[in-house]
Amino acid sequence: MKDWTVKDLQDWDDKICQIAKEKYDLDWFPIEYEILDYREMIGAMAYTGLPTHYRHWSFGKTFERTATRYNLGMEGLPYEMIINSNPSIAYLMLENPMSIHLLTMAHCVGHSDFFKNNRMFQDTDPDNVLARFKSAAKRVQKYIEDPNIGIENVERILDACHSIQYQVPRTPGIVRPDGNIFSDRKREETFPWEKDDSLLVDDKKDYNLLRFIRNHARNLEDWQKDLMEMVERRSSYFIPQAKTKIMNEGWAVLIHEKIMLDLELPDKYQLAFFKSHNQVVRPIVGRINPYHLGYTIFKKIEREHGFEECKIAREVHDDESFIRTYLDEELCAELNLFSYSYEKSQKNYSINDISDKEGWKSVRDALIKNVGLKSVPIVCVTDYDKRTNTLYITHEHDGRDLDLNYANKVYDYIRYLWDDDIFFTSIIEGEVWEF
Amino acid sequence: MSIFREHKSSADRSAADRKRHKAKIDKALREGIKDVIADESIIGQDGNKKVKIPVKGIKEYQFVYGENDQNKKAASAGDKQIKRGQVLRKKGSKGKGKPDKASNKAGEEYYEVEVTLDELAEYLFADLELPDLEKKKFKFIKDKKPKRSGYRKKGLRSKLSKKETIKRKIRRKKRAIAAGTWNPESGERFPFHEDDLKYKHLKMKNENNNSAAIFFLMDVSGSMDKEKKYLARSFYFILYQFLRYKYDNVEVVFISHSTDAKEVSEEEFFQRATMGGTIISSALEMEKDIINKRYHPSSWNIYTFYSGDGENWSFDNPKAVKLFEDLKNLSQMICYAEIDPHSHLTDRLGGGYNFGMQDPLNQDGLWYDLLPLVGEQFKLVKINKSSQIWPAFQVMFGGKN
Repeated sequence: MKDWTVKDLQDWDDKICQIAKEKYDLDWFPIEYEILDYREMIGAMAYTGLPTHYRHWSFGKTFERTATRYNLGMEGLPYEMIINSNPSIAYLMLENPMSIHLLTMAHCVGHSDFFKNNRMFQDTDPDNVLARFKSAAKRVQKYIEDPNIGIENVERILDACHSIQYQVPRTPGIVRPDGNIFSDRKREETFPWEKDDSLLVDDKKDYNLLRFIRNHARNLEDWQKDLMEMVERRSSYFIPQAKTKIMNEGWAVLIHEKIMLDLELPDKYQLAFFKSHNQVVRPIVGRINPYHLGYTIFKKIEREHGFEECKIAREVHDDESFIRTYLDEELCAELNLFSYSYEKSQKNYSINDISDKEGWKSVRDALIKNVGLKSVPIVCVTDYDKRTNTLYITHEHDGRDLDLNYANKVYDYIRYLWDDDIFFTSIIEGEVWEF
Repeated sequence: MSIFREHKSSADRSAADRKRHKAKIDKALREGIKDVIADESIIGQDGNKKVKIPVKGIKEYQFVYGENDQNKKAASAGDKQIKRGQVLRKKGSKGKGKPDKASNKAGEEYYEVEVTLDELAEYLFADLELPDLEKKKFKFIKDKKPKRSGYRKKGLRSKLSKKETIKRKIRRKKRAIAAGTWNPESGERFPFHEDDLKYKHLKMKNENNNSAAIFFLMDVSGSMDKEKKYLARSFYFILYQFLRYKYDNVEVVFISHSTDAKEVSEEEFFQRATMGGTIISSALEMEKDIINKRYHPSSWNIYTFYSGDGENWSFDNPKAVKLFEDLKNLSQMICYAEIDPHSHLTDRLGGGYNFGMQDPLNQDGLWYDLLPLVGEQFKLVKINKSSQIWPAFQVMFGGKN
């Protein structure tokens, strides 16, 4: 039963925005809320919230999985979904009561502020992102309808590109010694092979595998290159979000909590708000709840250094540096964090370390190794023999071996794109492994 | 300050992508089935019985780290007491349930889909068509159904056909105007007349049902070892499923033979092992006899499948060929399957269904005597291993891969 009208939403939104601006001096993109039902919400979720997105069967799979899990009561739908765009598009589910909408709206202000201020997002071009995705969707549709290409061929390229979608630069903004930010687009110019025909210089690596293949594979047609670029740009748009999941959620929870308390809600909303809020920020046993972890760290910063420090943190850090800087022994113990791994010989998972004096650092490091894109192995171009058109790629081993079953499949995809000789090496159980 | 608006959803946005995903699952399922049919032996089972089919997951592969002790992860223990070395859970075991074997092997590349035999048959045979079904008189009339059969002047009120009745009234009206007996401008009513009334008539009609009698014949003599029988059984399984899928009414007759033939139950059919020689004609004669007594070809579509290892006492060959020819004329299709898992020669000759291809080492034998019969109704197949069952099936019934 609907306990709200659009007028209610507007009135409360005005108050929320006023508090956010005047009391906390937040700076966010204007937000456009779209009201939809749960099925449309699942549909929007399947395409990561983007109003238009190119087609691919994997989004159908995501839809089915979410819908099944939701219908079986295995999971609820998220209260909030908001896009890093200017204006920010956010969704409010028709079925939700007013108290949830209030929480969602306050939460979205936090996210939008984070998108606008965190330096990881500076190259995401939020002004044009929607148009870009729309154009990509149109082009994919055009290729699918092209009788000389067709959906099977489009899928073949997209499947292959998706398999290495994160093998692109992961540091969207590197601070140069002079303090200026040096963006990805400028960085490529420093690689000699982008400009002239010279080969890879020793000790240079190219972390943009997707682009390297696009630029140097000899049998790719224009439409294939276009698809590859689409996937690369999509990745560089989403990578900042992956790198700041914990911070972004933590910040949004911190902000919605403040605003909701400042709103002096009537009792009917207040109680429901606390209930939902506590659900969002509770620890989930056996997992990391990014809302809970991020919020707890921000609370600690605010407690020890004040809110202004929180605002600086939300600007300069990503999850990795955030955790490295602020997660200390006390907080690890408070969160009761532990590290675990799979023991092949025992065929079970067991706890390696717990957050006591001896163990907390190793627990923290295990956490860091799995935040953002740290859980995705890095495979980069280490050499390229132009004469024989041989591509040399290497997995940057950080102590963790690749899953060979998956790696072999991805290797097939890379070979499909490159369509010539590839030397791919990694380290498996301490020895060099050649694929 | 923010903007609120209704979400403009393009009608069921993910429909096309869901369809593509479904197509991929179906394809994986079909491929999984081909591996599974050789393991199932469920002739005569209820179509609702469920079988598990391993399906290659529609995975999106990316580089991932392997599950091992270098790959440490972190988690919160909430308010639970924990200590180092504590075992969390066995891999693959979900709570109380048994370990999921299928997903464990081959690095979770597979997941299992449970389907009923009916669904399985549908997946298997969706692409195939039975060869030319001759319309036959059918022995069974499974159900009588009322069918529309014209109109009558008398009938129940509820069966009144308004359309036909009005048509007649209009016709009568026009005749009346033409004859000048009724003037449309007079304002006078032109009422219905009893002759206008027409009632829908229903007649009980016989629903044609297609019935099939399937004869599974097998050599159970000493030379048919377990492996051969296993292949035969797998082959029969898929044949049975196919015919059951195509016909409403399927009866199966099992005849096993060595030097003499015997009609047996399904269970006996696959278990029965005898010593001694092989006289194929004994089984064929018995089938002919049973057809005459119980399954007259005018009412039954007859399918005959014989499998053996190709050994027959040579004096019997001419008789067997003659009987095969007789049965060919009685059957919709008859198939002679030679099952020889130990033959490597046939492998080299390009698969196990190379009928028509001369075996250079062996020019005599039943196989070659039967070659002249090969045609639409008579098929020869060779099966050397389970992976050849499906191709053999396709040779028989055509269809795409």
